[in-house]
Order: sequence, then C-alpha cells, then structure tokens
Amino acid sequence: MQKPELIKDGKRLDGRDFEELRPLKIVAGIIKNATGSAYLEWGNNKVLAAVYGPKEVLPKHLADPEKAIVKCRYAMAPFSSLEEHGRAGPNRRATEISKVTKEVFENLIMLEKFPSTEIDIFIEILQSDGGTRSAGITAAGVALADSGIPIRDIPFAVAGGKIGDKLAIDFNKIEDNYSDADIPIAISPNLDRVLLLQMDGKMTKEEFSRYLDMVERVSKQIISAQKNALLEKYKVNG
Amino acid sequence: MVEIVLPGSKITSGIIKADGTYIENDSTYASVVGIFDEEKRHFIPLEGLWYPKEGDRVVGTIVTRRISAYVVDLNSPYKGIIMTKFEHSRLEEGDIIEATVREFKEFDDAMVVVLTRPKRLFGGVLLNIKPTKVPRVIGKGNTMIDQITQATKCSIIVGLNGTVWLKGGDINLATEAIKTIELQAHVSGLTDKIKNMLEKKGK
Amino acid sequence: MQIKVSKEYLTELLSRQERVDQRGFFDYRSISIKTNTIPNAEGSASVYIGNTYVLAGVKLDVGTPMPDKPDEGVLVTSAELLPLASVEYEEGPPSPEAVEFARVVDRGIRAAEVIDTESLFIEENKVWNVYLDIYVLNYDGNLFDAGTLASVAALLTTRMPRLEGEQVIRTGDLPRLKTKGIVASTTFAKIGNAILLDPTGLEESFMNARLTIATDDEYIHAMQKGLAGYFTRQEIEKLIDTSFEKSKMLRSLISKAVSGD
Repeated sequence: MQKPELIKDGKRLDGRDFEELRPLKIVAGIIKNATGSAYLEWGNNKVLAAVYGPKEVLPKHLADPEKAIVKCRYAMAPFSSLEEHGRAGPNRRATEISKVTKEVFENLIMLEKFPSTEIDIFIEILQSDGGTRSAGITAAGVALADSGIPIRDIPFAVAGGKIGDKLAIDFNKIEDNYSDADIPIAISPNLDRVLLLQMDGKMTKEEFSRYLDMVERVSKQIISAQKNALLEKYKVNG
Repeated sequence: MVEIVLPGSKITSGIIKADGTYIENDSTYASVVGIFDEEKRHFIPLEGLWYPKEGDRVVGTIVTRRISAYVVDLNSPYKGIIMTKFEHSRLEEGDIIEATVREFKEFDDAMVVVLTRPKRLFGGVLLNIKPTKVPRVIGKGNTMIDQITQATKCSIIVGLNGTVWLKGGDINLATEAIKTIELQAHVSGLTDKIKNMLEKKGK
Repeated sequence: MQIKVSKEYLTELLSRQERVDQRGFFDYRSISIKTNTIPNAEGSASVYIGNTYVLAGVKLDVGTPMPDKPDEGVLVTSAELLPLASVEYEEGPPSPEAVEFARVVDRGIRAAEVIDTESLFIEENKVWNVYLDIYVLNYDGNLFDAGTLASVAALLTTRMPRLEGEQVIRTGDLPRLKTKGIVASTTFAKIGNAILLDPTGLEESFMNARLTIATDDEYIHAMQKGLAGYFTRQEIEKLIDTSFEKSKMLRSLISKAVSGD
C-alpha cells in the first residue's frame, strides 16, 4: 500500500500538534476481584490492567526463595482493531511485549519483600489505536499502586518518533504504521530511570536527544492522569 | 499539613522509618499510597499487605489436613500451618479458626506462617479487608470495634491479616460499618460518623 | 472487601428465605448494559450484573459457508475467562467451563434466530462470518445471563460492513446487521433445597446444581442443567414460568440500551 500523507498544513492527520498527546483518562480499582486494577482510555485505545498477588507460585519449582517472581500477560482482544477479527492466543509480538513489560515492573516492585511468591500483571487491550504497549504500562503502573504492593515508583510510558523530518509524540495507529522512526519508552520519573526502550526506523543522535526532551515535556500530563486516578479513590462524598 | 502521597514520591528529606516507605540518598520515599502528617512526621500507609510477625492474632480457614500439619488459608500469599504434634484441637477442612503467629519461616521449600493456639470459630461470616485498615477497624483502645459490637450485638474477631469473623446479631449492619471504615480510613472524624450510622440504621 | 460465609450461616439464612446480599430469591442484582463500548468492533456491549462484568465484541469477515447451509452466514462464538477476571482463571486453551459458557450463549442466540443468517449470503461459496467474542472481565457469578445480555445487545447494534471489490469497508455510514429475535437467559442455582435466581460468585461456590433457561415471549430456546445436583420436574416447570417473566424484564433492558445507541 502507498504511504499516506501523515502531515497536512503543519498538523497531524487527527489535527494534533507534534507535541500534543491524545486525551488520556485513567480510573483505578475497576476490577473488583483483583488486588489492584486500572482502566485507561488514551485516544482510541482502551486498556484494562489488573494485578493479582503476591500469591503462591505455580508451578512450585519456579519459586525464588530470595524474592517474588513477576508474570506478565499482554494480550489484544480479537475485536480490538478496526481491521479483521484477530486470532486468539499468544503471538510473537504479544510474547515480546509481555516480556519487556514484565522487566519494567521487575525493576520497580520491591520483590525482596515477598520471597517465594508470584505477582501477576495482566494487560488486556480491548481497543487498539497505536501505542498499546505504552498504554498498558501506564495503566499497569496505576494498577500496582492501587494494589498496595510496594513499588519504588509509578512508571509511565509513551510512544512516538519521527514523521518525515518532524519529531512527534504519542503516535496513533496510522502514524505507528508509516512513521520513519518509532520509539516506545517507559520511564520511572522520580528515579529518572529508563526501563523500556525500543526503536525501529531511522534517526540521528541529535534527533533522538530532542525526542527525549519532548518525552520529558509531555510526561507531566501522563503522570498527572495517573495521580488523578489514584487520588480519586480517596475522595469521600458527605 | 496532612496529604496523600503516592508510590515513588519523596515524603521528606531525612529518614523516617515506617511501613510502606523506603530510603534513598538520605531521603524517605513512599512505596505505597499513604498519608503523611508533616507536623508529626508520621506516615500511615493506606494500601499495603500483611507481613506476618510473631504474636500477630489472625483469622483463617483450614484448607487441608496433612499427616503432621493443618494448612490454613490466611488471605495472604503465605499459607499458615498448625503442627498437629503440638496442638490437640481436632480440625477439619473448611473450619474457621483464630490463632497466633509463632514464627514466619522457610519450610518444605516455601515460606510458611507457623500458627499456635488455634481456636475454632463456629459458623458466621468472614470478611477480607485490606490489612492496612485493621487498626482503624479496631480503633484507639478498641473504641471503634466496641461501638460496632454494642450496636449490632455481633461477635467480632479482627485478624491482623485482614480477615474479620462475625457471628450473631445484625451482621449486615456490622458488615456495612466495616466496609465504610475500609473505604474511609483516611477520613478524620470517622468514629463519630460510624456512630451516627449505627444509631440511624440500628434496630 | 470480600465476603465469605460458612455453610452453617448460609443454610440458616436460606432457611429464613434470606440471601447474603439481602435480595429476594428471584431478584436480579442491578444490571447495566452499555452498547458500542468498543467502537473499533462492528458491534459491542458491556454488561454489569452486580460485580460480574462482561464485554461482548462482534467482528464480521468474509468466509465460506457451512456445507449443510450453503446460503447462510456463520456465527462463531467464543468465550474467554480472562486471567484478569479472577484468581481462579488461568491462561491457556479454553477450559471446559469457558467452552460450555460459549456454547450455551451461542445456542440461545441461534435458536431464537437473533441473526438473520440468510442476509449474510454474498455469493456462491462466499458469506459473512460473524465472530462473537465474550470477554469476562470480572467474575462474580452468573456469567451465562451476563454473557447472553452482552452478546444480544452487541449483535443488535452491529454495523454491517460492505464489500468494495475484495476490500471490506467497516467505517462510515453502514446499515445494521439484520436481526430477527431477541432472547435472554435466566440462571438459577440450587443450594440445598433453595433455588436462587442470578447467583453471585459466593453462592455459586455452594451450589450443587445450576439451570439456565433462555426464552423470548413465546418460546424456550435453550436450556442447560449443570453440576452434579438435580432439579425435580416440578421445580423445572416452575422455573420456566419464572424465566418467561424475568426474560421480559431483561429483554426490555436490552431494547432500552439498544435504542440509545
């Protein structure tokens, strides 16, 4: 298929500026059975994240006597995209995303406090429109804070990169498909640690550095959506 | 000033030792959602899990009976065990018990909570609440739990693991009161609020 | 907060004609139905029954008909008991429970002819396949009724894609999928001798038998008895009457949700 024009009259196809996020809304505590949970809408993405545990390790031989182990499932609903019905079950893409997401949280959860246990993180993409792994991590960060499992920080994530010679943040699906460079990144803001970084495309070092500045500038909005979701829980009427 | 702090936020420069915090570069950070009272330099976690400690009074359910031990579900990642050798109570699967933590140790490749002095609780209802809310449900000098017991005529035993046993009296009202405390543990004047609720809805 | 009850307490409550959540034996918990919650799907609906939370999504793709029905489209129903919905659910191939759940919902929808399958014929050996996926997001009992409500509401609001050559057009001004019937299922749990409509997860953990009856105004369209316990003939006949009565209420909730879409 021919590459569509992604920029018109200095704006992106959905009318956004290059440094403008899609609307982001997060609600904590939506899945009653879970230890912690969050529902996130970011543009057209709709994501549920839930945390269970710490709990008994199954199968038992995976248990680590020094610390808790983390399991992570990232999965897309078969009805989540605007295209054809998706095949059910894990695929290579979902397996990789599950792995790198797990590694983000292994860094932040105080695993040493719960030896010989397991913590499960589930991320279900109910509707997808680009940047779902970032949306999943941003939601799972809130779910973990909601759970009471001790964590060093709440991570946020966002994906963006380069369209033509322009840098842009928070790619939607079509930008994701046809961009010249695509960089999902997850950061622990208080500790200033990069916990997930992936990239494909073409970018100079200088562009990458400017991209990181852009991430830092928009991060405040993502972090504040996460905070609002958590604080909302403690508002009492009457 | 009292404010809600989120995991990863710096609570204060300097070191405060409290559950739900960690120290980095001589500053104290929150690892769970909690309230920080700046004047008293006091951090109270609002979310959090139960860490078994010797002497903790807990409530649980017998899951299975093995040859040398009963296995107890404590609403925790760790199973409780009662060594049959030392304890003479006859217990069965499904029985609800109250017991005291003797130690928390590695046993048979897993961490277990060794329990002692089990007492069977007959019938009733179990509520699992967040363990961080247990002190609020009990109240200073038992004030909160006493007023619920008086108003509802319910027998109530609160386990530090977050499991609460209720029997007799107005269980629905007692449950509602405990649920309200769990949701509003961070709100001041809660004892009076619960008192009003119990008076209004009590029979 | 989670509540667990001892067998003694539950038996005593039921003998006084009371339930743990203070409902009547034949009352539903509060029900909410929202349609088009996943706009990317051709049809979708989210349903809460109490704390039970399910989502149904519908996609249509071009496929081949079944050999015995060459001029009708095909309905493919699946259910996922997502590990995020309960500690009891695990990842992996569908469990027997998930398969039974999907098949019972599917049967009611087929038998009541919710979809006009003949309208899905495109040309010889080419029909629309309707993929109905039921996602359980939080389990607190009575999945069958929640799943049926979500599925029917999603199907009734499904947009019918159209073909431009080989390309499937899924957006823009599209007509609705042609539907005929509306069905709702009602599920009863038997605990001891007590029979309860719309069991919670807690009640289901004590039930010894389960009966699901899917009806519309005139007909019973599907039934499924589950678990090792039993129902007597008298009980079943009485529950069918109750089912007709409750189904009317459920179907009016669907109609309300669908008309707002």
